[in-house]
Amino acid sequence: MQARLPSPQDYATRRRLRPWLTNGAMIAIVALLMLPIALTLSTSFKREQDVLRRPPVLLPCDGPDGQFRLSQCRFDIEGYERVIAPRPDVSSLLGFRLTGRMFSTYVPNTLLYALASSGLVFVMSGLAGYAFSRYRFRGRRALMVAILAITGIPLLTNLLALYQMAVDLRKAGIPGYDERMFIIAVYIGFQLPFSVWIVKGFFDTIPRELEEAAFIDGCTPIGALWRIVVPLAMPGLLAAFLLCFVNVWNEFIAGYLLITKRELRTVMFGMYDFLSQNIINYQVVAAACVLIAAPVVILFLLTRRTFFQAMTEGAVKG
Amino acid sequence: MATQAQTASTSPRSASKRIRQGGFFSQTLPFWLLLPMLLVIAAIQFYPGFYSIWLSFQERQGAVWNFVGLRNFERIFGSAAFRESIGHTAVFLVGYVVVTMAASLVIALLLNRKLKLSGVYISLIFIPWVIADVIAGLVFGLLVVPDYGLLSPILSNPALFPPNGLSIPSDPAPRPWISGFPFPPAPAMYYLILATAWRALPFVTLLILAALKTVPHEIIESARIDGASSFQALRFITLPLILPTLVVALFNLILGGMNGIGLVFTLTRGGPGTATEVLSFLLYTIGFGRLEFGRAAALSVFIAIINLTLIILTLRVSRTEERTA
Repeated sequence: MQARLPSPQDYATRRRLRPWLTNGAMIAIVALLMLPIALTLSTSFKREQDVLRRPPVLLPCDGPDGQFRLSQCRFDIEGYERVIAPRPDVSSLLGFRLTGRMFSTYVPNTLLYALASSGLVFVMSGLAGYAFSRYRFRGRRALMVAILAITGIPLLTNLLALYQMAVDLRKAGIPGYDERMFIIAVYIGFQLPFSVWIVKGFFDTIPRELEEAAFIDGCTPIGALWRIVVPLAMPGLLAAFLLCFVNVWNEFIAGYLLITKRELRTVMFGMYDFLSQNIINYQVVAAACVLIAAPVVILFLLTRRTFFQAMTEGAVKG
Repeated sequence: MATQAQTASTSPRSASKRIRQGGFFSQTLPFWLLLPMLLVIAAIQFYPGFYSIWLSFQERQGAVWNFVGLRNFERIFGSAAFRESIGHTAVFLVGYVVVTMAASLVIALLLNRKLKLSGVYISLIFIPWVIADVIAGLVFGLLVVPDYGLLSPILSNPALFPPNGLSIPSDPAPRPWISGFPFPPAPAMYYLILATAWRALPFVTLLILAALKTVPHEIIESARIDGASSFQALRFITLPLILPTLVVALFNLILGGMNGIGLVFTLTRGGPGTATEVLSFLLYTIGFGRLEFGRAAALSVFIAIINLTLIILTLRVSRTEERTA
């Protein structure tokens, strides 16, 4: 039996249909991947009595007769209110204070850790990336391979030692020591290698002639780095900053184990803590998930080009 | 003048030339530039690394540490919990790697077809990657809460999951086919694999997509003209060409899967029973639950050796030579 060869018409039909099929498949895949997020959003806007229904309803829009009607939707922000817990307070700027632990304690703490470590990573990876990109010195290659290798080392295996170090440092009674310094140092230590790698890649793309012109005009190497290379490599440095920010924001286990004072703990500890407190109030947990995930998701969507560029160009992994 | 010309010819970098001309500070400038990074990495990566090795030979009695030789390793490797955990980790890793790689490859191949909406799809697919593992665990956990979770009507349907429907948080593993190896796993393990793959998928898709973009279109086209089916073109041309990337992605996935802990923490906490107690969670339980630091350190040395092996293999496969230039 001879298989029929496809005729030119077959090819033409196929070419016309193909984008539709591909788009259809992609829409199905994206919808499936977004499903957990969509369901969480829907849960977060439900009222308690709609969360605790059996069988559960996707959208709380059914009337007493069980018919779906848009006008019957009972969406509520009760979950969000309970996470944020605003209380009227005349002395504060907006007329109310956020009394939920999440927003009064954990979010400011995490912002501090994330901004401090990202800022320092920005500076350190700029300096080290410049050295790797522009200077040839003994041991450079070995050091770069070592940095690349460290990029892959996860926090997990160092946790016990870091925990002991935190205990020792607390006992040592160094004047001015604060647990926050240690956790920021830990975050820098784990974010820096990859950042150096990204930044070095971006520095490499900047022509040396620009700096040479600056040297001739009497600029020092640091001056050239600051005035010429840094502005041109801003996308790379920004990518290092953003990646570090997102990773620190999302980090859980180090923050949980290395910080002892409750008032210094991070958002991810707060999320974990929610699990034990609000076991029946699913709409509160869902609202907290949305509130804590939203900032980094929005940040990512706004800066996705920078992210993708850094990940495909600077990635270890390629 | 002659020496300067020589310097310039051996090292054409003008910055390097300046090093030789300047004073002590500018001669050693690269060192000062690298110093902050070196200090942090020494304190946060190297010192704790060696500290862990030291801890793995110690046992705490009261306030003092005693050297116990290889006792910690003997006790951890000899424990039933460790052997069981190795099985769970193997099942978890195989499932998670296969699911993630297969799904990522399919998505990347679709995205490589130059669709108008590719940018939108990639941005949306990438959202799970930005969501913290702790939050992913909570989100997936809420979906399968018995009775109230939005997926529970499907899971508890006895027609779909005979005989009594499925309860992911509490159903134990069925009888293992081979005694001592946890296969088939508990429903919670399948679910943990799905949730972990959900978060890992975007990154691997991006990696594969970037590699696919480097495959020259002409080769595929000429193969198609020579009569290769699109599957044959994929199997014999595209896949071999992107193989290094696939291998790097594979090692990355194993590395991430071995060391991830946030999702297990909020989704299953190792349960039901010990059905999802992977090595990373066992490390936490021994070290911080039972406070047996020496034994936990021995376990972390074991995991670190696997990590380092994977990292060295990754460096071998990815073209490091080119990148350190």
